[in-house]
Amino acid sequence: MADLAPVLDQSVLDELRESVGDDDAFIADLVATYIAEGRDHLAAMEAAAAAGDAAAIVRPAHTLKSSSAALGALRLAAIAREIEMAGRAGAAADLPARVADARAAWDATLAEMAAAGLTK
Amino acid sequence: MSDVALIVDDSAVNRQLLARHLTTIGIDAREVGDGRAALEALHEPGANIGIVLLDVLMPDMDGYETLAAIKADDDLRHLPVIMISGVDELDSVVRCIQLGATDYLPKPFNPTILAARVRASLADKRMRDLEVAHAAEQAALLQTIERQKEELSRFLSPQVAALVSSPEGEQMLAGHRREATAVFCDLRGFTAFSDSAEPEEVLGMLREYHSRMGELIVRYEGTLEHFAGDGMMVFFNDPVPQPDHVERAVRMAVAMRDMFAGLAARWAKLGFELGFGVGIACGYATLGRIGFEGRYDYGMVGTAVILASRLSSAAAADQILLNPRAHAAVEELFETEPVGALQLKGFARAVEAVNVLAIKTTEAATAKPS
Repeated sequence: MADLAPVLDQSVLDELRESVGDDDAFIADLVATYIAEGRDHLAAMEAAAAAGDAAAIVRPAHTLKSSSAALGALRLAAIAREIEMAGRAGAAADLPARVADARAAWDATLAEMAAAGLTK
Repeated sequence: MSDVALIVDDSAVNRQLLARHLTTIGIDAREVGDGRAALEALHEPGANIGIVLLDVLMPDMDGYETLAAIKADDDLRHLPVIMISGVDELDSVVRCIQLGATDYLPKPFNPTILAARVRASLADKRMRDLEVAHAAEQAALLQTIERQKEELSRFLSPQVAALVSSPEGEQMLAGHRREATAVFCDLRGFTAFSDSAEPEEVLGMLREYHSRMGELIVRYEGTLEHFAGDGMMVFFNDPVPQPDHVERAVRMAVAMRDMFAGLAARWAKLGFELGFGVGIACGYATLGRIGFEGRYDYGMVGTAVILASRLSSAAAADQILLNPRAHAAVEELFETEPVGALQLKGFARAVEAVNVLAIKTTEAATAKPS
């Protein structure tokens, strides 16, 4: 199901841009923050998955879900949401495969952001 | 001084976005990444935080704990807290609102909803702050008035102090005409005394004289218009009406004369010969505020005032001189002797004054019809 969501939803980005008065410099800053922060969260999720620590994965997955959704990275947001729920459910065994999906979605997101000229 | 919004979210993207939206609607924002940092910021002196936007899921100290800490703190409990929440977190939002959160803000952020909720919460808070400030101002004002009344009563006669703070005060101060009794008294031999004595002696003696006489003025409820060196002017029947105003004036004068006898005996041992004379006149006068902006007296103006002053000047030591009108009012109460027709400065006709010798004994006084 997560695979069905668009990697980068242009309409979310359009709305976001409009809400900040078409301030492209601000959007570029925000994307830079997202990438720096997301990288850390993804690394934390990978570490938690490798350690089989379901509880430790909840918060980084939650935060990555929320910031991804804010920037239109809906596929990653959906995967992160499933990981967060799995983490809350204590389903440690499912985590490594799901985090690998998250990593793939992350790479795809960055590629599309770069293609859309959003990255510096 | 506008309120600052404190954004508490572990997501830098969320913080950055919220801060931006808030700035757009004219609200300054501060950002922190967890609850502990939020509480530190809230306790900073002068932080001026008027609203908290609080994420639920955060490391270290989460939204629930932070909210509970804010609500448990007397200084912070009235601060509006808006929870930041994803659509799938509505259960936690309900819990936060039960814990005292004001509202919630769904993610992803909609700037219009954000502006509406933040403004509504800030408006509530300002209203509350205003109420609190107003109550404090009222209390401070009352305190000031009480203090001023107290201060005033030290400088003014208690009657005038009470009048100043009464609802009818302004009207009374504006000036009115009524019958009143004016009392002037001063010391015989004072000028010579103040020339020969040391200034410290003069002041010390005056202080004692004023304080003892002042007690009597208060006891007989006279309105002290002024002290001037050894002289003083007191009037009766205003601002508080006193049907027995002449009697009060004469009784006070007699008490003053007795009091003065004690003082004079002591001063005589120090070599100072001083006498005490009083003039009392009853008549119509204008009473009210006299003076100019910044320095007003509550005073009495009229022929009776001048007459009392002239009678006081004409009085020998130990004499209490009454004008005929005052005499007529109290002749059954006091033993008097005529002092003849006095030619007084400013008065075309001679004044038939009497000197008060003593208060009639109770027996003698009650024997006469009143």
